[in-house]
Amino acid sequence: MYSLYFDPGLGAMIIQSIVAAVAAILLFSKNILYKVKAFFGLAKKDNDDLFDDINVKESDTDNTSN
Amino acid sequence: MTNITNHTASYKDPSGFVFVENGIVKRQINPIYFKQYQALKESGFFKQLFDNQLLVKHDEVFSSSEKIVLQPEHISFITYPYEWSFNQYKAAALLTLKIQKFAIEHGFTLKDASAFNVTFNKGKAVFIDTLSFDFYIENSPWRAYKQFVTHFLGPLVLAHYHGSQSLKLLNSFMDGIPLKMLASMLPFKTKLNPFLYSNIHLLAKFEDKHNQDYKGETKASTLSKKAQLNIVQSLYDYIKKLNLKESSEWGNYYNKINYSDSSFDFKSKIINQWVDNLNTKTLIDIGGNDGTFVRKIKASLQHALVCDIDNNAVDHNFKLINTNKNSYITPFVLDVLNPSASIGFNNLERFSFLKRIKDFAPDTALALAVIHHMSLSGNVSFDMSARFFASFSKDLIIEFPKREDSWVQRLLNSKTDFKAYFDFYNEDNFENSYKKYFQIIEKQHITGTHRVLYLMKVK
Repeated sequence: MYSLYFDPGLGAMIIQSIVAAVAAILLFSKNILYKVKAFFGLAKKDNDDLFDDINVKESDTDNTSN
Repeated sequence: MTNITNHTASYKDPSGFVFVENGIVKRQINPIYFKQYQALKESGFFKQLFDNQLLVKHDEVFSSSEKIVLQPEHISFITYPYEWSFNQYKAAALLTLKIQKFAIEHGFTLKDASAFNVTFNKGKAVFIDTLSFDFYIENSPWRAYKQFVTHFLGPLVLAHYHGSQSLKLLNSFMDGIPLKMLASMLPFKTKLNPFLYSNIHLLAKFEDKHNQDYKGETKASTLSKKAQLNIVQSLYDYIKKLNLKESSEWGNYYNKINYSDSSFDFKSKIINQWVDNLNTKTLIDIGGNDGTFVRKIKASLQHALVCDIDNNAVDHNFKLINTNKNSYITPFVLDVLNPSASIGFNNLERFSFLKRIKDFAPDTALALAVIHHMSLSGNVSFDMSARFFASFSKDLIIEFPKREDSWVQRLLNSKTDFKAYFDFYNEDNFENSYKKYFQIIEKQHITGTHRVLYLMKVK
């Protein structure tokens, strides 16, 4: 069920496969670059203290309460 | 008697709505959304988001076959996207992406990505639209992608190239910056950047080409889960690295201001004494820079709002709040000469600063070193500023820099021929005007300066 209470934009839906392809190339090359740098010991550690990475830390406590 | 009113901003999503019952904000879920809600609850999805402080907590307080009612944790002061500093805006954008990634991995998706779904509570960005989640349908693109670009990526990239003022655009464009306009405002070199080209320029072109989709072809396009995760990840990486190239109006204010360390300490000592005597629990510091004076208050405050016109000062405050864990401070950008107005349908969707601050009803207002800016830069008369301060706070601690003060001199000299008009700017006129609305309880000269501190009580 999708409630169409706002217009997602047809163009915006179609374009996502192109955006995703560009993103994949960027992420891939970034990874390669990082590995090359790491090999030569040049990789900088991410020391951003304000923002962490995208992953949510999952706790494995019981998941039943709301 | 129960008093129930529907929240005037909550009408777009048929899944449910927000209402206020006897002063308490609650959220009703309609049967159309029961399946999603149960799945979100039973899979532990909500709990994980609560535990990570990403989504505002709620309790289920009522449940029947017609409706379920949630009571979310109370947030005493809501700030809007056009009141956020650059890094606050970034934090809100990154939070949205983080939640979307987590949602996709757990079989859900964000069905909208409005910047108004986020606010700041206890020093952190928090998602407040509990009903924004829907089931993820395999191989479907992200419906809220365009909204994310026009609400978050657009304003942030504009701020990067044109300065933090761009972050206020959502005040005029509540539903995001129009894509064509956004693309046209970016410098040509952004077309050479594959990330910005695909996410903004090409998107604007595609939207322009397909803007008359009356057949509902939207559903036809597909996108793998991996591909969608790549989009979300690349947006996250790009926004996380984005910075602002501007220096502050007040950045090193306390270095260039005419305060010696001893005068500074003296001032904070008096303020501390007064705040202690007043037993202040909630306050607002208007023109509070990076929160320096609020941090010097020793009494334990429940909640302190600190606003300033300068993005960098608010940004610095936001960073300090995160490093020092000053979760009782809520910083935001506010131009006291043009506070946020009420906007949206019927002018009732986003509330004005004055409405929100009156509801918040702080015990005390601090106005340190702002009156000369209001009077001399803004031409606001003493009577007008007194009425303004008296409208939302019981007690006022206000600092008055006299004519001899170097900042006042600077402002007066910049008036050149018009200078005589500002002859009204003196201690007597100030006191007489403020006495109409306030009772002056105490008055203290700050030694070593040409400044006076007043403690006033509203009449």
